[in-house]
Amino acid sequence: MNMFFHELKAGRKSMIIWACSLSAIVILMMSIFPAFMTDVEAAKKLFLGLPDAVKKMFGFYADTFFTLLGFYAYIFLFVVLCGSIQAMNLGTGIVSKEVSGKTADFLLSKPVSRKRILTAKLLAALAIMIITDAVFFIVAVIMANIVKTEPFSMAKFIMISLTLLFVQLMFFTLGFLISVIAPKIRSVLPISLGVVFTFFLLNMVDSIIGEKAARYIIPFLYYDNSYIIRNGSYEVSFMIVEAVFIIVAIAASYRFYIRKDIKV
Amino acid sequence: MNLKGGAVEMNVIEISNLTKYYGKSRGIIDVNFNVEEGEIFGFIGPNGAGKSTTIRILLSLIYPTSGSASIFGRDCVEFGPEIKKEIGYLPSEVFYYDTMRVIDLLNYSASFYNKDCSARIKELAGIMDLDLHARIDDLSYGNKKKVGIVQGLIHQPKLIILDEPTGGLDPLMQQKFFDLLQAENQRGAAILLSSHILSEVQRLCSRVAIIKEGRIIKIDTISSMREDNNKKFRIEMKSENAISNDFFKMEGVKDLKVDGRMISFLYLGNINLIMKKFASIDIANVWIEEMDLEEIFLHYYEKEDRSLEKEDQTAQKEEQKL
Amino acid sequence: MNIFLRELKAHRKSLIIWSVGMILLIITGMAKYTSLYSTGSAMQDVLNQMPKSVKVVLGMADFDVTKVSGFYGMLFLYIILMTTVHAAMIGAGIISKEERDKTSEFLFAKPVSRDRVISAKLLAAFFNIVVLNIVTTLTSIAIVNKYSNGEQVNGMILTLMLGMFFMQLIFMFIGTGLAAASRNPKTAASAATGILLGTFVIAKAVDLNSGIDFLKYITPFKYFDPVRLILGPGFEPVYIILTVVIVAVLFVATYRLFKKRDLKI
Repeated sequence: MNMFFHELKAGRKSMIIWACSLSAIVILMMSIFPAFMTDVEAAKKLFLGLPDAVKKMFGFYADTFFTLLGFYAYIFLFVVLCGSIQAMNLGTGIVSKEVSGKTADFLLSKPVSRKRILTAKLLAALAIMIITDAVFFIVAVIMANIVKTEPFSMAKFIMISLTLLFVQLMFFTLGFLISVIAPKIRSVLPISLGVVFTFFLLNMVDSIIGEKAARYIIPFLYYDNSYIIRNGSYEVSFMIVEAVFIIVAIAASYRFYIRKDIKV
Repeated sequence: MNLKGGAVEMNVIEISNLTKYYGKSRGIIDVNFNVEEGEIFGFIGPNGAGKSTTIRILLSLIYPTSGSASIFGRDCVEFGPEIKKEIGYLPSEVFYYDTMRVIDLLNYSASFYNKDCSARIKELAGIMDLDLHARIDDLSYGNKKKVGIVQGLIHQPKLIILDEPTGGLDPLMQQKFFDLLQAENQRGAAILLSSHILSEVQRLCSRVAIIKEGRIIKIDTISSMREDNNKKFRIEMKSENAISNDFFKMEGVKDLKVDGRMISFLYLGNINLIMKKFASIDIANVWIEEMDLEEIFLHYYEKEDRSLEKEDQTAQKEEQKL
Repeated sequence: MNIFLRELKAHRKSLIIWSVGMILLIITGMAKYTSLYSTGSAMQDVLNQMPKSVKVVLGMADFDVTKVSGFYGMLFLYIILMTTVHAAMIGAGIISKEERDKTSEFLFAKPVSRDRVISAKLLAAFFNIVVLNIVTTLTSIAIVNKYSNGEQVNGMILTLMLGMFFMQLIFMFIGTGLAAASRNPKTAASAATGILLGTFVIAKAVDLNSGIDFLKYITPFKYFDPVRLILGPGFEPVYIILTVVIVAVLFVATYRLFKKRDLKI
């Protein structure tokens, strides 16, 4: 599809920047791991002796935290933060840029249905996110292997890394929905940053005390890394909710876009 | 400055060896021309020739690579804000702050000049049939252009710069706009009009500069451009082959064409000589027209290319000799 | 003056949204405090024995989060993230919006120098960040005092807010400087965000690893670090000087760079 490749090409530079940024974060943070581990021995003993109520309060568990996987899970939050901004940018921008860039009447007067346009853009955005994440993942694996102090479960590492894509998909979908509903978005970045940071801050404020309901609202909380580390699987209910959200939102986006007046 | 019959006329705009390169691409090269006080000056040329570039430099939106431009005797870059007090500008593409209403935009515009423009706003909006309370968002392209026109004139500037002003206006509005311009000109305003629509340039302007590929190729008054140019003759004969095809062939005649009963040609020369030819024949009808500016203009193009062709031909001949 | 008023009006909605968001953040944040507080002294023992790096990871650093002041100190990091993002976005946006929205041909053909336009815009942006700062300060004082049980917190809050103000200034001018330099409006906003996120991540990294402590000079988040402001040496001259220098350089750069370049039509 010509539009698919067009979008890929248009997003190429930005994708490279994001991939490098995510990689830089993981390189920087993981390189701290060895130093971090030396501080940790004393802490480990302490935590093992804590009452369960207190342990729970911190939302993580001593036996899993002071390992490579645990550390990775911690720094992963920053990766997800940045990746979510990228995803939200893509979602909010990819459709609305035709209006803001005044190319709407060019594209929409071509013999191609709006449905096909949306599909091409959707797939292109998906491809961009997957490629970015793949690059990040390769760098992360290399770093992990460089700094590890003992063997770690690759399967769990992969599972944690995949959560980047899952969370990105949610933000992307949210952005997509917004971009299809709003008549004209002049500047994507403030919206993306605003939404992502709001959720992020809710997440930070909330991570001290977990609340079940909040977990369904805040995309960052859908995948609890400590759960993954302990159980080697995802919490199914969240995956289902996410899938449902994505399907419903995307379907709604299609319906909406196909019907609405395009502002030229 | 130039002297005409004793009165000293100031140049409102003076452009001297103005050159602009965008990186390596040429914008304009060595542009020179002046616009005199009180005149309506046309600025024409094909797409991409450099008209907008020149105008943007005058408004210090962009800066020249070399050369200079001055308005009211002061350098455009250095004295930008001061000279703009007396300039009204209508750009070719009109974008405004979306959420505003027309009256808000006009008031905001007026607030930059130390004059009370409220009466003028109402007057101009009335003439141009502009709804002051409409949202700019909701206006059609032509109506947005009207906002641009009004916005450019409300402060009664001494110099009006227009870039493709009538695009999008219906014929009635175009007429009203021309009337407005001429009224401003009567008041003493100088006008620099850049346009593709040669009929309007012809109608309004006294002098015109033609720019092509970044360079000025001609500056002249409209009247002398016409004078120095050919008259168009079209003759309808009563029957085909009534006269020989070469009948009108003489010095000064060119582009002679015979098509059935219609004969056409261009003539530059003593008008009496060609009229004498008519005396000896019977015709059904005749049309004699001035070449309009469009044809003159295209002619200048051809002349340029033809002279280049001639140079090529002589060069080829030289080569063959060797 | 007219440009200044226009900009204020244009940002009104955004300022209200950010202010409300900030108020909500502080309210919900402090609401969490009550739950933590209730476990009282047991928590304190645990925390006292925890190694620093672990505390940093939890976001608490040296703060005693069972006390209101400590908890607020920890919450502060997230407050500051919000206000610096706001400042950077406003800075980059306000300068580049004329070129982004294609209104430059209108505005700059008016009898107003580019310097005056920049001044009006800087003033409007400054106004916005000051308002957000004041909203944050007042809300913090109001809410934190509610939970403080007599503990004196106002001094701490004001200190933190002053530090935050400096950081807002730095990021606002990073935004304006980038926008003044760049003909592409989108580049400026993205670059400002990138710098912000980058310096944030670096600040976190420095917290985790004292080995790279020297990096603290390149990240504004470390200039007015809440831990150092409240529990440590307070406002340190080296950081004040750095702030003043950075702001001054970017301030001048904004004017100069914008004046020199061609506008993008």
